Amino acid sequence: MKSFVRDLPHYMLLIGILLAGFAGLTLFSYDRNFQIAVALATGISYVSWGLIHHHIHRDLHFEVFMEYLAVAILGTVIIFSLILQ
Amino acid sequence: MQLLRFLHHLFIPHESNNQKGKILHPSSLTIIAVFLVGFQLLLNVFPRGLPRVLGYAANISPGEVIRLTNAQRAANGLSTVTENANLDSAALAKGNDMLAKGYWAHFAPDGTSPWSFFLSFGYKYQYAGENLARDFSNANDAVNAWMNSPTHRENILNSKYKEIGIGVVEGNLAGVDTTVIVQFFGAPLGNSPSIPIAQAQEQGKSVALKPSIAPKKLATPSLSPEPTIAPVIIRTPTPLPQASPQSISSVFISPFSSTKNLSSAVLGLLLMALSIDIIVIRRKRIARIGGRTLAHIAFLGMILAVILILKAGQII
Repeated sequence: MKSFVRDLPHYMLLIGILLAGFAGLTLFSYDRNFQIAVALATGISYVSWGLIHHHIHRDLHFEVFMEYLAVAILGTVIIFSLILQ
Repeated sequence: MQLLRFLHHLFIPHESNNQKGKILHPSSLTIIAVFLVGFQLLLNVFPRGLPRVLGYAANISPGEVIRLTNAQRAANGLSTVTENANLDSAALAKGNDMLAKGYWAHFAPDGTSPWSFFLSFGYKYQYAGENLARDFSNANDAVNAWMNSPTHRENILNSKYKEIGIGVVEGNLAGVDTTVIVQFFGAPLGNSPSIPIAQAQEQGKSVALKPSIAPKKLATPSLSPEPTIAPVIIRTPTPLPQASPQSISSVFISPFSSTKNLSSAVLGLLLMALSIDIIVIRRKRIARIGGRTLAHIAFLGMILAVILILKAGQII
């Protein structure tokens, strides 16, 4: 809990990124190309957030990067599987 | 017992799985992603082997689409558009043409424009417009999707249009049974002696034919060097097409619903695993190298929210 409170600005930024992604994907459901761009941007932003967050905390390792990358890829694949139907 | 051990290994942080449920390891997440891609490939290959298994059940009547369109126009202070038999026939012909030639676009691969359907059925237009929709299960969702798109909304709320024709066709498009809705708008030539203008709203861009005295593709006898020719509206006495029967196609698998359900299940499972992970790690005060579980929960939670909101259907 302490770490969460300490990292509140980081998580606020993450929430902002995710809200922007959510808004882009839902409000522009008529524009497939834009949805693809938003999905990719959200995934990349998520990985970037993870890298910067862990770099600041000095616990950035290759395994951590792979974890964020795997989660981002999975999320993007799921979104693509629906918008590219 | 072995199953319990396997589930324990999969979900509970332990020495055996490096203090993180196996399902949350990057390798497992990658396998899940590959599985989902494979599922999509299967959905695309499936129709070739067993046609008419994949599809979208629909319950759409042209009358309902017109009613909803006019409701939107009335809500925006516009006059209603009246149903025109020739436009209905033209829209139906366009829909059938799309299914026969296997294309999903305003202009056919052979260059046939939407306006040629207007003219084929004797509708000489002053203004013309087209909206297309497919894979919607009901008229309300289709009209809402058009209204949410600025360019399609522009067509529906265009004060220049006076008449409407709707074609609803069911058939196989790219291996998937679907329902295509063709919405034609028009204003008959003769409202004012000016040059015909036609507009097909492509996604994000308006393909408006610039008014020209000698348009290249419009082969209409009404176009002449003298735009002041007394307008003649030729109406071929065509009986109103039968409204598409309120049919519910009996399809076994909806590609969109299948994907949505599978994705929701996968995400639900992962979110559960992440929740277990965060609880166990905090209780046991385990120190480990890894990403922030809370961040993963937030990201995958956002993805789940998006896929729950997304609906089937495309418009152009």
